[in-house]
Amino acid sequence: MDNQNSKLERLLYSASQARDERAISVPFGFETRVIALWRAGAETVTNNGIGTLVRRVAITAAAIIVVSTAAAIREVRQAEETFNEPLGDEFAIADSAIQNEFSPQ
Amino acid sequence: MAEFDSGALVKAALAGDDAAARDLVRQLYPLVAKVVRAHRPRRTPEEDLCQMIFIKVFQNLAHFSGKVPLEHWVSRIAVNTCLNQIAFEKVRPEVRHADLSEQELAVVEELSTSSGDLAPDKKLASRQLVEQLLEILKPAERFVIDSMYLEGRSVEEIKKMTGWSAPLIKVRAFRARQKMKQQLEKISREQR
Repeated sequence: MDNQNSKLERLLYSASQARDERAISVPFGFETRVIALWRAGAETVTNNGIGTLVRRVAITAAAIIVVSTAAAIREVRQAEETFNEPLGDEFAIADSAIQNEFSPQ
Repeated sequence: MAEFDSGALVKAALAGDDAAARDLVRQLYPLVAKVVRAHRPRRTPEEDLCQMIFIKVFQNLAHFSGKVPLEHWVSRIAVNTCLNQIAFEKVRPEVRHADLSEQELAVVEELSTSSGDLAPDKKLASRQLVEQLLEILKPAERFVIDSMYLEGRSVEEIKKMTGWSAPLIKVRAFRARQKMKQQLEKISREQR
């Protein structure tokens, strides 16, 4: 392990000696490009403000649609349950009442 | 650049003075270029990355409070942009013997056969070899190795540049070194 440590140390030391000698200077037209992009970006940000508003409205609308759909489904299910309730007792009562009425005593 | 000057230039640039904004770019360019050269992702051109950093700087200029020197604030943006850009580039799984140039292989050979410092003519090849090894590291680990070993920065300096804690920096350096050692050992074995 010491050998590996030493190898890496020597490699890193040698690599650190290879300095980047290139001179640093602002490329031609760089400032103009940066400032133009910054100003253009500022306009985009303003547009994004409207975009954000539209996005929020869309999200709120979608949420309302989801909630109302869920409520509608619930309503339909409840109605189905009411229709599907066994009506046997009511028919039986009515049937026996009719029979009592018309049957000879 | 004096602090007062930076503050005045920032205010003027925010007020729409393009000349002041240009002055800011010119004064900060060497700092940004230095950070970019040290931590640039290998596949992004230097000028493109500098431009990206300056646009971020200007877009956030209104949030610059002036509590820290402008240079520190800008260098932190530069570092974070470089790290994000490195993260976009996929981490290479490993460096193989076949990926290395003759000069880089000569460096590996010399590391195995001698115990002293590498010959001065191997500086460039060793730098290239280190850059290949850095590609297997995570962006944060790469940044720590770059800063500590290639630029010779202290843990304290890295802490200021990144906002990471000292133990975190040390752990990242340790992990990065382990990975680099393993990879170097593997290349040496393949060479034998």
